[in-house]
Amino acid sequence: MSSSFSGDETAPFFGFLGAAAALVFSCMGAAYGTAKSGVGVASMGVMRPELVMKSIVPVVMAGVLGIYGLIIAVIISTGINPKAKSYYLFDGYAHLSSGLACGLAGLSAGMAIGIVGDAGVRANAQQPKLFVGMILILIFAEALALYGLIVVGSSKFIFDHLEYGCFSAFIWWLLCTCCRIKKGFLADDKACESFHLSTAVLCRLGLCVCDPIH
Amino acid sequence: MAGSTSSWSRALVQISPYTFAAIGIAIAIGVSVLGAAWGIYITGSSLIGAAIKAPRITSKNLISVIFCEAVAIYGVIVAIILQTKLESVPSSVMYAPEALRAGYAIFASGIIVGFANLVCGICVGIIGSSCALSDAQNSSLFVKILVIEIFGSALGLFGVIVGIIMSGQITWPSNAA
Repeated sequence: MSSSFSGDETAPFFGFLGAAAALVFSCMGAAYGTAKSGVGVASMGVMRPELVMKSIVPVVMAGVLGIYGLIIAVIISTGINPKAKSYYLFDGYAHLSSGLACGLAGLSAGMAIGIVGDAGVRANAQQPKLFVGMILILIFAEALALYGLIVVGSSKFIFDHLEYGCFSAFIWWLLCTCCRIKKGFLADDKACESFHLSTAVLCRLGLCVCDPIH
Repeated sequence: MAGSTSSWSRALVQISPYTFAAIGIAIAIGVSVLGAAWGIYITGSSLIGAAIKAPRITSKNLISVIFCEAVAIYGVIVAIILQTKLESVPSSVMYAPEALRAGYAIFASGIIVGFANLVCGICVGIIGSSCALSDAQNSSLFVKILVIEIFGSALGLFGVIVGIIMSGQITWPSNAA
Protein backbone atom coordinates (compact mmCIF):
# COMPACT_ATOMS: atom_id res chain seq x y z
CA MET A 1 0.00 0.00 0.00
CA SER A 2 2.79 2.42 0.78
CA SER A 3 4.31 1.89 -2.65
CA SER A 4 1.31 3.53 -4.31
CA PHE A 5 1.66 6.64 -2.14
CA SER A 6 4.38 9.03 -3.30
CA GLY A 7 5.41 12.28 -1.69
CA ASP A 8 5.77 13.53 1.85
CA GLU A 9 3.50 12.13 4.54
CA THR A 10 2.58 15.37 6.26
CA ALA A 11 2.09 17.47 3.12
CA PRO A 12 -1.69 16.78 3.02
CA PHE A 13 -2.00 18.52 6.42
CA PHE A 14 -1.01 21.85 4.89
CA GLY A 15 -3.01 21.20 1.73
CA PHE A 16 -6.25 20.47 3.57
CA LEU A 17 -5.68 23.47 5.84
CA GLY A 18 -5.35 25.59 2.70
CA ALA A 19 -8.75 24.43 1.49
CA ALA A 20 -10.17 25.13 4.96
CA ALA A 21 -8.67 28.63 5.02
CA ALA A 22 -10.07 29.44 1.58
CA LEU A 23 -13.61 28.57 2.54
CA VAL A 24 -13.70 29.73 6.16
CA PHE A 25 -12.22 33.19 5.62
CA SER A 26 -14.30 33.81 2.46
CA CYS A 27 -17.41 32.82 4.39
CA MET A 28 -16.44 35.20 7.19
CA GLY A 29 -16.20 38.03 4.66
CA ALA A 30 -19.45 37.05 2.99
CA ALA A 31 -21.22 36.83 6.36
CA TYR A 32 -19.95 40.24 7.45
CA GLY A 33 -20.99 41.83 4.16
CA THR A 34 -24.41 40.21 4.18
CA ALA A 35 -25.14 41.07 7.82
CA LYS A 36 -23.93 44.67 7.74
CA SER A 37 -25.68 45.54 4.47
CA GLY A 38 -28.78 43.65 5.57
CA VAL A 39 -29.10 45.75 8.70
CA GLY A 40 -28.79 48.89 6.56
CA VAL A 41 -31.44 47.68 4.14
CA ALA A 42 -33.86 46.78 6.94
CA SER A 43 -33.39 50.14 8.66
CA MET A 44 -33.78 52.03 5.39
CA GLY A 45 -36.79 49.98 4.34
CA VAL A 46 -38.92 51.26 7.19
CA MET A 47 -39.03 54.70 5.59
CA ARG A 48 -38.75 53.69 1.89
CA PRO A 49 -40.11 50.16 1.37
CA GLU A 50 -40.10 50.50 -2.42
CA LEU A 51 -36.29 50.74 -2.50
CA VAL A 52 -35.60 47.48 -0.65
CA MET A 53 -35.42 45.13 -3.64
CA LYS A 54 -33.08 47.52 -5.46
CA SER A 55 -30.82 47.71 -2.42
CA ILE A 56 -30.16 43.98 -2.25
CA VAL A 57 -27.16 44.45 -4.61
CA PRO A 58 -24.52 44.63 -1.80
CA VAL A 59 -25.94 41.41 -0.33
CA VAL A 60 -25.60 39.60 -3.67
CA MET A 61 -22.04 40.85 -4.11
CA ALA A 62 -21.13 39.60 -0.65
CA GLY A 63 -22.66 36.22 -1.43
CA VAL A 64 -20.44 35.88 -4.50
CA LEU A 65 -17.40 35.98 -2.20
CA GLY A 66 -18.59 32.78 -0.56
CA ILE A 67 -18.81 31.19 -4.01
CA TYR A 68 -15.19 32.20 -4.79
CA GLY A 69 -14.07 30.49 -1.58
CA LEU A 70 -16.15 27.42 -2.37
CA ILE A 71 -14.61 27.05 -5.85
CA ILE A 72 -11.03 27.38 -4.60
CA ALA A 73 -11.65 25.01 -1.65
CA VAL A 74 -13.08 22.34 -3.97
CA ILE A 75 -10.22 22.75 -6.47
CA ILE A 76 -7.64 22.40 -3.70
CA SER A 77 -9.22 19.45 -1.93
CA THR A 78 -9.69 17.44 -5.13
CA GLY A 79 -6.08 18.22 -6.07
CA ILE A 80 -4.72 16.39 -3.02
CA ASN A 81 -4.38 12.86 -4.32
CA PRO A 82 -1.04 11.33 -3.38
CA LYS A 83 -1.93 8.02 -5.01
CA ALA A 84 -2.52 9.50 -8.46
CA LYS A 85 0.08 12.27 -8.44
CA SER A 86 3.00 12.65 -6.05
CA TYR A 87 2.26 15.23 -3.37
CA TYR A 88 5.33 16.78 -1.82
CA LEU A 89 5.69 19.45 0.84
CA PHE A 90 6.03 21.97 -2.00
CA ASP A 91 2.53 21.15 -3.19
CA GLY A 92 1.19 21.26 0.34
CA TYR A 93 2.65 24.69 1.03
CA ALA A 94 1.47 25.96 -2.39
CA HIS A 95 -2.09 24.88 -1.61
CA LEU A 96 -1.86 26.46 1.86
CA SER A 97 -0.73 29.78 0.42
CA SER A 98 -3.37 29.72 -2.31
CA GLY A 99 -6.09 29.04 0.21
CA LEU A 100 -4.91 31.76 2.57
CA ALA A 101 -4.55 34.26 -0.29
CA CYS A 102 -8.05 33.67 -1.59
CA GLY A 103 -9.60 33.45 1.86
CA LEU A 104 -8.07 36.54 3.41
CA ALA A 105 -8.73 38.56 0.25
CA GLY A 106 -12.36 37.47 0.43
CA LEU A 107 -12.51 38.42 4.12
CA SER A 108 -11.23 41.92 3.44
CA ALA A 109 -13.48 42.39 0.41
CA GLY A 110 -16.47 41.26 2.46
CA MET A 111 -15.73 43.78 5.19
CA ALA A 112 -15.44 46.56 2.62
CA ILE A 113 -18.65 45.52 0.86
CA GLY A 114 -20.51 45.38 4.17
CA ILE A 115 -19.55 48.84 5.36
CA VAL A 116 -19.97 50.48 1.93
CA GLY A 117 -23.27 48.69 1.37
CA ASP A 118 -24.63 49.79 4.72
CA ALA A 119 -23.73 53.43 4.17
CA GLY A 120 -24.70 53.29 0.51
CA VAL A 121 -28.22 51.97 0.89
CA ARG A 122 -29.00 54.45 3.64
CA ALA A 123 -27.67 57.33 1.53
CA ASN A 124 -29.48 56.06 -1.58
CA ALA A 125 -32.77 56.28 0.28
CA GLN A 126 -32.26 59.98 0.81
CA GLN A 127 -30.60 60.85 -2.52
CA PRO A 128 -31.51 58.52 -5.44
CA LYS A 129 -28.69 59.83 -7.66
CA LEU A 130 -26.18 58.03 -5.43
CA PHE A 131 -27.14 54.55 -6.63
CA VAL A 132 -24.61 54.36 -9.48
CA GLY A 133 -21.88 55.73 -7.21
CA MET A 134 -22.61 53.07 -4.60
CA ILE A 135 -22.43 50.34 -7.27
CA LEU A 136 -19.08 51.65 -8.53
CA ILE A 137 -17.56 51.63 -5.05
CA LEU A 138 -18.92 48.11 -4.45
CA ILE A 139 -17.31 46.91 -7.67
CA PHE A 140 -13.94 48.28 -6.52
CA ALA A 141 -14.38 46.42 -3.23
CA GLU A 142 -15.29 43.19 -5.06
CA ALA A 143 -12.12 43.56 -7.14
CA LEU A 144 -10.10 43.05 -3.95
CA ALA A 145 -11.37 39.50 -3.78
CA LEU A 146 -10.44 39.08 -7.43
CA TYR A 147 -6.85 40.13 -6.65
CA GLY A 148 -6.67 37.14 -4.32
CA LEU A 149 -8.03 34.92 -7.10
CA ILE A 150 -5.41 36.25 -9.53
CA VAL A 151 -2.60 35.27 -7.15
CA VAL A 152 -4.18 31.87 -6.78
CA GLY A 153 -4.40 31.67 -10.55
CA SER A 154 -0.71 32.31 -10.95
CA SER A 155 -0.11 29.25 -8.79
CA LYS A 156 0.22 26.08 -10.71
CA PHE A 157 -3.24 24.69 -10.77
CA ILE A 158 -5.68 27.22 -12.13
CA PHE A 159 -4.20 27.00 -15.60
CA ASP A 160 -5.58 23.52 -15.58
CA HIS A 161 -8.97 24.87 -14.54
CA LEU A 162 -9.46 27.97 -16.68
CA GLU A 163 -13.01 26.91 -17.33
CA TYR A 164 -13.86 28.02 -13.80
CA GLY A 165 -12.91 31.57 -14.78
CA CYS A 166 -15.14 31.33 -17.84
CA PHE A 167 -17.90 29.96 -15.70
CA SER A 168 -17.82 32.83 -13.22
CA ALA A 169 -17.76 35.38 -16.08
CA PHE A 170 -20.75 33.57 -17.53
CA ILE A 171 -22.59 33.72 -14.21
CA TRP A 172 -22.01 37.47 -13.98
CA TRP A 173 -23.26 37.86 -17.54
CA LEU A 174 -26.40 35.91 -16.68
CA LEU A 175 -27.02 38.09 -13.61
CA CYS A 176 -26.64 41.24 -15.72
CA THR A 177 -29.06 39.94 -18.33
CA CYS A 178 -31.67 39.08 -15.71
CA CYS A 179 -31.30 42.51 -14.14
CA ARG A 180 -31.74 44.34 -17.41
CA ILE A 181 -34.74 42.29 -18.40
CA LYS A 182 -36.50 43.53 -15.27
CA LYS A 183 -36.29 47.09 -16.50
CA GLY A 184 -36.99 48.87 -13.26
CA PHE A 185 -34.13 47.19 -11.37
CA LEU A 186 -30.99 48.69 -12.90
CA ALA A 187 -32.23 51.35 -15.30
CA ASP A 188 -30.34 51.40 -18.61
CA ASP A 189 -27.36 53.56 -17.73
CA LYS A 190 -23.89 53.46 -19.19
CA ALA A 191 -22.19 51.73 -16.25
CA CYS A 192 -24.57 48.79 -16.39
CA GLU A 193 -24.22 48.42 -20.18
CA SER A 194 -20.42 48.50 -20.09
CA PHE A 195 -20.30 45.99 -17.23
CA HIS A 196 -22.62 43.67 -19.11
CA LEU A 197 -20.50 43.93 -22.26
CA SER A 198 -17.25 43.33 -20.40
CA THR A 199 -18.53 40.13 -18.77
CA ALA A 200 -19.60 38.85 -22.19
CA VAL A 201 -16.18 39.68 -23.65
CA LEU A 202 -14.35 38.02 -20.73
CA CYS A 203 -16.42 34.89 -21.10
CA ARG A 204 -15.76 34.73 -24.86
CA LEU A 205 -12.02 35.33 -24.40
CA GLY A 206 -11.87 32.66 -21.75
CA LEU A 207 -13.54 30.18 -24.04
CA CYS A 208 -11.08 31.01 -26.85
CA VAL A 209 -8.19 30.34 -24.49
CA CYS A 210 -9.67 27.16 -23.05
CA ASP A 211 -10.39 25.46 -26.38
CA PRO A 212 -6.76 25.08 -27.59
CA ILE A 213 -5.67 23.82 -24.17
CA HIS A 214 -8.19 21.01 -24.00
CA MET B 1 12.62 7.49 7.99
CA ALA B 2 9.22 9.05 8.23
CA GLY B 3 9.10 12.74 8.83
CA SER B 4 12.69 13.49 8.00
CA THR B 5 11.83 16.16 5.44
CA SER B 6 11.20 19.14 7.73
CA SER B 7 10.83 20.14 11.35
CA TRP B 8 7.05 20.49 10.95
CA SER B 9 6.93 16.96 9.58
CA ARG B 10 8.99 15.60 12.45
CA ALA B 11 6.48 17.05 14.91
CA LEU B 12 3.36 16.11 12.96
CA VAL B 13 4.18 12.43 12.36
CA GLN B 14 4.38 11.88 16.11
CA ILE B 15 0.70 12.81 16.52
CA SER B 16 -1.77 10.00 15.98
CA PRO B 17 -4.23 10.58 13.12
CA TYR B 18 -7.02 9.69 15.54
CA THR B 19 -6.19 12.82 17.55
CA PHE B 20 -6.77 14.99 14.53
CA ALA B 21 -9.89 13.06 13.56
CA ALA B 22 -11.48 13.29 16.99
CA ILE B 23 -10.74 17.00 17.34
CA GLY B 24 -12.11 17.60 13.84
CA ILE B 25 -15.39 15.86 14.63
CA ALA B 26 -15.70 17.76 17.91
CA ILE B 27 -15.11 21.11 16.19
CA ALA B 28 -17.65 20.25 13.47
CA ILE B 29 -20.47 19.82 15.96
CA GLY B 30 -19.32 22.13 18.75
CA VAL B 31 -18.56 25.26 16.76
CA SER B 32 -21.65 24.82 14.53
CA VAL B 33 -23.86 24.68 17.61
CA LEU B 34 -22.06 27.76 18.97
CA GLY B 35 -22.94 29.62 15.78
CA ALA B 36 -26.56 28.50 15.94
CA ALA B 37 -26.85 29.55 19.58
CA TRP B 38 -25.26 32.94 18.91
CA GLY B 39 -27.71 33.56 16.07
CA ILE B 40 -30.70 32.44 18.09
CA TYR B 41 -30.00 34.74 21.00
CA ILE B 42 -29.42 37.74 18.73
CA THR B 43 -32.66 37.12 16.84
CA GLY B 44 -34.70 36.02 19.83
CA SER B 45 -33.94 38.98 22.02
CA SER B 46 -34.79 41.48 19.25
CA LEU B 47 -37.91 39.54 18.33
CA ILE B 48 -39.25 39.55 21.87
CA GLY B 49 -38.45 43.20 22.37
CA ALA B 50 -40.08 44.25 19.10
CA ALA B 51 -43.16 42.15 19.82
CA ILE B 52 -44.05 44.21 22.88
CA LYS B 53 -45.72 46.85 20.74
CA ALA B 54 -46.49 44.57 17.78
CA PRO B 55 -47.44 41.09 19.01
CA ARG B 56 -48.55 40.04 15.52
CA ILE B 57 -44.94 39.50 14.40
CA THR B 58 -44.17 36.68 16.80
CA SER B 59 -45.26 33.60 14.88
CA LYS B 60 -44.04 34.81 11.47
CA ASN B 61 -40.57 35.75 12.69
CA LEU B 62 -39.94 32.41 14.33
CA ILE B 63 -38.71 31.40 10.88
CA SER B 64 -35.53 33.38 11.51
CA VAL B 65 -34.93 31.27 14.60
CA ILE B 66 -35.48 28.15 12.52
CA PHE B 67 -32.89 29.33 9.95
CA CYS B 68 -30.35 29.56 12.77
CA GLU B 69 -31.31 26.15 14.09
CA ALA B 70 -30.72 24.64 10.63
CA VAL B 71 -27.07 25.59 11.01
CA ALA B 72 -26.79 23.33 14.05
CA ILE B 73 -28.46 20.52 12.10
CA TYR B 74 -25.82 20.87 9.36
CA GLY B 75 -23.14 20.43 12.02
CA VAL B 76 -24.83 17.31 13.41
CA ILE B 77 -25.16 15.75 9.95
CA VAL B 78 -21.53 16.29 9.00
CA ALA B 79 -20.25 15.16 12.41
CA ILE B 80 -22.20 11.91 12.05
CA ILE B 81 -20.89 11.42 8.50
CA LEU B 82 -17.31 11.96 9.69
CA GLN B 83 -17.82 9.55 12.59
CA THR B 84 -18.92 6.79 10.25
CA LYS B 85 -15.72 7.30 8.27
CA LEU B 86 -13.56 6.52 11.31
CA GLU B 87 -12.10 3.04 11.03
CA SER B 88 -9.85 1.19 13.37
CA VAL B 89 -6.53 0.17 11.84
CA PRO B 90 -3.87 -2.04 13.46
CA SER B 91 -1.01 -0.18 15.13
CA SER B 92 1.44 -1.39 12.51
CA VAL B 93 -0.14 0.89 9.92
CA MET B 94 -1.45 3.60 12.23
CA TYR B 95 1.30 6.03 11.19
CA ALA B 96 1.30 5.02 7.54
CA PRO B 97 1.03 7.97 5.12
CA GLU B 98 -2.48 7.03 4.07
CA ALA B 99 -3.70 6.91 7.65
CA LEU B 100 -2.11 10.28 8.37
CA ARG B 101 -3.84 11.76 5.33
CA ALA B 102 -7.21 10.41 6.48
CA GLY B 103 -6.73 12.00 9.89
CA TYR B 104 -5.82 15.38 8.39
CA ALA B 105 -8.82 15.22 6.04
CA ILE B 106 -11.27 14.66 8.90
CA PHE B 107 -9.64 17.51 10.87
CA ALA B 108 -9.87 19.97 7.98
CA SER B 109 -13.40 18.90 7.14
CA GLY B 110 -14.46 19.52 10.73
CA ILE B 111 -12.85 22.96 10.79
CA ILE B 112 -14.51 23.93 7.51
CA VAL B 113 -17.98 22.91 8.60
CA GLY B 114 -17.65 24.27 12.12
CA PHE B 115 -16.40 27.73 11.31
CA ALA B 116 -18.53 28.22 8.18
CA ASN B 117 -21.61 27.40 10.26
CA LEU B 118 -20.38 29.71 13.04
CA VAL B 119 -20.26 32.76 10.78
CA CYS B 120 -23.46 31.75 9.01
CA GLY B 121 -25.32 31.49 12.30
CA ILE B 122 -24.15 34.91 13.47
CA CYS B 123 -25.00 36.47 10.09
CA VAL B 124 -28.49 34.98 9.97
CA GLY B 125 -29.03 36.04 13.58
CA ILE B 126 -28.15 39.68 12.90
CA ILE B 127 -30.34 39.84 9.80
CA GLY B 128 -33.18 38.06 11.61
CA SER B 129 -33.07 40.65 14.35
CA SER B 130 -33.29 43.47 11.77
CA CYS B 131 -36.11 41.58 10.06
CA ALA B 132 -38.12 41.45 13.28
CA LEU B 133 -37.55 45.11 14.07
CA SER B 134 -38.51 46.33 10.59
CA ASP B 135 -41.48 43.95 10.40
CA ALA B 136 -42.81 45.47 13.61
CA GLN B 137 -42.90 48.87 11.90
CA ASN B 138 -44.02 47.88 8.38
CA SER B 139 -45.35 44.40 7.73
CA SER B 140 -44.60 44.48 3.99
CA LEU B 141 -40.88 44.35 4.77
CA PHE B 142 -40.87 40.85 6.23
CA VAL B 143 -40.63 38.92 2.95
CA LYS B 144 -38.07 41.32 1.47
CA ILE B 145 -35.66 41.04 4.39
CA LEU B 146 -36.22 37.27 4.42
CA VAL B 147 -34.61 37.20 0.94
CA ILE B 148 -31.44 38.65 2.48
CA GLU B 149 -31.60 36.02 5.22
CA ILE B 150 -31.71 33.27 2.59
CA PHE B 151 -28.50 34.65 1.05
CA GLY B 152 -26.94 34.47 4.49
CA SER B 153 -27.97 30.90 5.16
CA ALA B 154 -26.34 29.74 1.91
CA LEU B 155 -22.95 30.18 3.60
CA GLY B 156 -23.58 27.26 5.94
CA LEU B 157 -24.47 25.14 2.92
CA PHE B 158 -21.15 26.01 1.25
CA GLY B 159 -19.36 24.68 4.32
CA VAL B 160 -21.35 21.46 4.31
CA ILE B 161 -20.71 20.93 0.58
CA VAL B 162 -16.94 21.33 0.89
CA GLY B 163 -16.87 19.24 4.08
CA ILE B 164 -18.65 16.36 2.36
CA ILE B 165 -16.48 16.62 -0.77
CA MET B 166 -13.40 16.49 1.42
CA SER B 167 -14.75 13.49 3.32
CA GLY B 168 -14.41 11.53 0.09
CA GLN B 169 -10.65 11.74 0.63
CA ILE B 170 -10.89 9.74 3.85
CA THR B 171 -9.51 6.28 3.11
CA TRP B 172 -7.73 4.28 5.75
CA PRO B 173 -5.09 1.67 4.86
CA SER B 174 -6.53 -1.81 4.68
CA ASN B 175 -5.77 -4.13 7.57
CA ALA B 176 -3.49 -6.42 5.59
CA ALA B 177 -0.42 -4.22 5.20
